Amino acid sequence: MAQPFLLSLPRRGLTSSCRRLSLTSPSRTIASCSRFTPARPQHHYQPRQRQQPQPLQRNYHSENHPSKSPQENEYSNSQLTILSAALAHVPRHGFSRDALILGARDSGFLDVSVQLLPRGEFDLVLFWLASRRGLLRDVAEKLKGKEMGVEKKVRCLVMERLRMNEMVKTEWQGALALMSLAGNIPLSLSELHALSSDILNLAGDTSVDASWYTKRMSVAAIYASAEVYMTRDQSPNLAETEEFVSRRFEDNAAIGEKLSSAKQCLGFMGSTAVGLGRSWGWKI
Amino acid sequence: MSRSLWRSLHYSAKRRLAAPPTPYRCFSCSLRAQDQPRKDGQTTHFGFKDVPEAQKESMVGAVFSSVASSYDTMNDLMSLGIHRLWKDHFVRSLNPGSAPPSRDTDSTGKGWNILDIAGGTGDIAFRMLDHATNINHDLNTRVTISDINPDMLAEGKKRSIDTPYYNTNRLSFMEANAQTMPSIPDNSVDLYTVVFGIRNFTDKQAALNEAFRVLKPGGVFACMEFSKVDNELFNAVYKRWSFSAIPLIGHLVAGDRDSYQYLVESIEQFPSQEEFRGMIQKAGFMIPGRGFENLTGGIAAIHKGIKPIS
Repeated sequence: MAQPFLLSLPRRGLTSSCRRLSLTSPSRTIASCSRFTPARPQHHYQPRQRQQPQPLQRNYHSENHPSKSPQENEYSNSQLTILSAALAHVPRHGFSRDALILGARDSGFLDVSVQLLPRGEFDLVLFWLASRRGLLRDVAEKLKGKEMGVEKKVRCLVMERLRMNEMVKTEWQGALALMSLAGNIPLSLSELHALSSDILNLAGDTSVDASWYTKRMSVAAIYASAEVYMTRDQSPNLAETEEFVSRRFEDNAAIGEKLSSAKQCLGFMGSTAVGLGRSWGWKI
Repeated sequence: MSRSLWRSLHYSAKRRLAAPPTPYRCFSCSLRAQDQPRKDGQTTHFGFKDVPEAQKESMVGAVFSSVASSYDTMNDLMSLGIHRLWKDHFVRSLNPGSAPPSRDTDSTGKGWNILDIAGGTGDIAFRMLDHATNINHDLNTRVTISDINPDMLAEGKKRSIDTPYYNTNRLSFMEANAQTMPSIPDNSVDLYTVVFGIRNFTDKQAALNEAFRVLKPGGVFACMEFSKVDNELFNAVYKRWSFSAIPLIGHLVAGDRDSYQYLVESIEQFPSQEEFRGMIQKAGFMIPGRGFENLTGGIAAIHKGIKPIS
C-alpha cells in the first residue's frame, strides 16, 4: 500500500523516510522477538503527530511587537496568591519552605498545596526578584520629569532596587545561596540580565552597538556585587552601600576611559604603521 | 475453602493469560486487527490483549496475588534497585507532615490525612510516615493504605508489624476499588498518592475523578508511574531489557513468567506523559508547571495535580 506513495516521492523524501524506518526498527524487532507477544495494539502504529505551526517568532527586538514573557516565569492565579502571601513571612522565616507553607495557609490553601510550585523556595526567590523588578517602572516614572543624565539615572535606579531589598536584608544571603545552586544558576543569571536590561531601558539608554552588551554586563556586575555588600551593611539608610555603589560606578567609568584610550592608542599606532609601510613602498 | 476458590480463580486467569501467541505475524496483521469489530466501552487493555472490562479486574487480581510475596525481590532485580531511589525522591518532594511553624497556628485538625492507593505492601506509606515523623516531627499525620487485592494488603499488614506504626491510629488498611470509594467522604483527604498502580486500573479516568472528589480543596494528587523514555537510543536498550530480561527474571526467581510479561506489556500500554497530564487536567486538577517530572530518562514519571480552591 505504501509502495506507490513512496515511489511518487522525490529522491529527497525517499531517503528521509528510509532513515526514519531504520530508526524505528530496533523496537519493532524487540517486540516481535518476544514469543509471548499477542496481537499488537492498534494505536501502536499511529503516525507521529505533526507539530503545530509555531506562532511567528522574531529573532530581533521590536518596540512595536513586544515579545511575550517566557513561559517558565508565568504564574497562575493560585500560584501568585500563595507567593504574594508568602512574601509577608520572608522577613521572619527567610526564603524557605516554611514561608511558603505559611503563605499557602494564609490564602486558604493546605500545607500540601505548596506542591503548586515545582521549584519550591526558589520560586519564592524568583517571584521576589521579578515583582521588585516590576516596581522599578514606577520609580522610573517619577524620575522622568527630572533633568538627569542616563548615567545618573542608572545609578539612581540601581540604588532604588537595592533599597527594596532592605526589608529582607538579613535573609538575603540565604536567597543568594539558593540562586547559586547549580540547577538554579541559568534562571538566576537570566533574571539578573533582565534586571540590568530593564534598568538601562528605563534610564533611557538607546545604544545599539557593542556597548549594548558591555553596559548591561557592567550594570549587572555592579548590582550583583552591591547586593552581596549590602548583606553586611549595618549603617543607617544603607549609607555604606550607597558609597560602595558610587565607587563602583567611578571604577566603571575609569575602566571605560582606559579602554577607550587604549583603543585610540592602538588605532593610532595601526594607522601609523600603515602609513610607514606605504612610505616604504608596500602596497597596503 | 475461600483459599481454594482463590487458587482456582488464579489458575483459570493464568491459563487465559497464556493463550497461544500468534505463530506468525506479517505487517498487514495490524490492519487485520483494525478490521476486527471492537465493542467500545466493553473491552479494555490487559497487556497487549483486549479483554472484557468485567474480566480485567480479576485478571489483574490474579497477577498481583501471585507476585505479592516476591514483590520486593523482584522489584530490586527488575529495576536494579533504582525503584528505591524513585520512591525516596517521590516522598521527599512531597514533604509529608506539617512543618513546625505552620503547626503552631494550626486550627484545622492536626497533621495530614494521606490516602495511599494501590499501596498494598506499604512501601510508600511507611516512607511517608517516616518522613513526617523524623523530618517534620509531626506525630499526627496518618496514612490509609487502600488496595483492591487482599493478598497485597496482607503482605503490607505483615510488614507493618516491624514498623513503629503497627496498631496505631496513624496507619490503617482498606480493601477498596479506587474507582468508587463510598467509604471515604468528599473533601476529606490532603494527599492522594498512587505509585505504580494506576496503569492496572480498568477505568483510569474514573479513578482520577474519584480522587478529585475525596481530596480537600487545595489537596494534591501525586502519582508515580512508568512512562515513555524520551531518548531513542536509551529506549532501545530499555525495551530490550524489559521485554527480554524481565519475564526471564520473573520465570527464574518467582517462577511466574506470565505475570511479569503482563507487567511489561501494561507499561507499554500506559499513556505518555503528555496524554496522562491531559487526563489529570480533564478530572479538574490544576497542573503545577510542566505537570510531570521524568525519572531516569522517562522510565518513570511523577505527575502532580492540585484541586482548585473554589
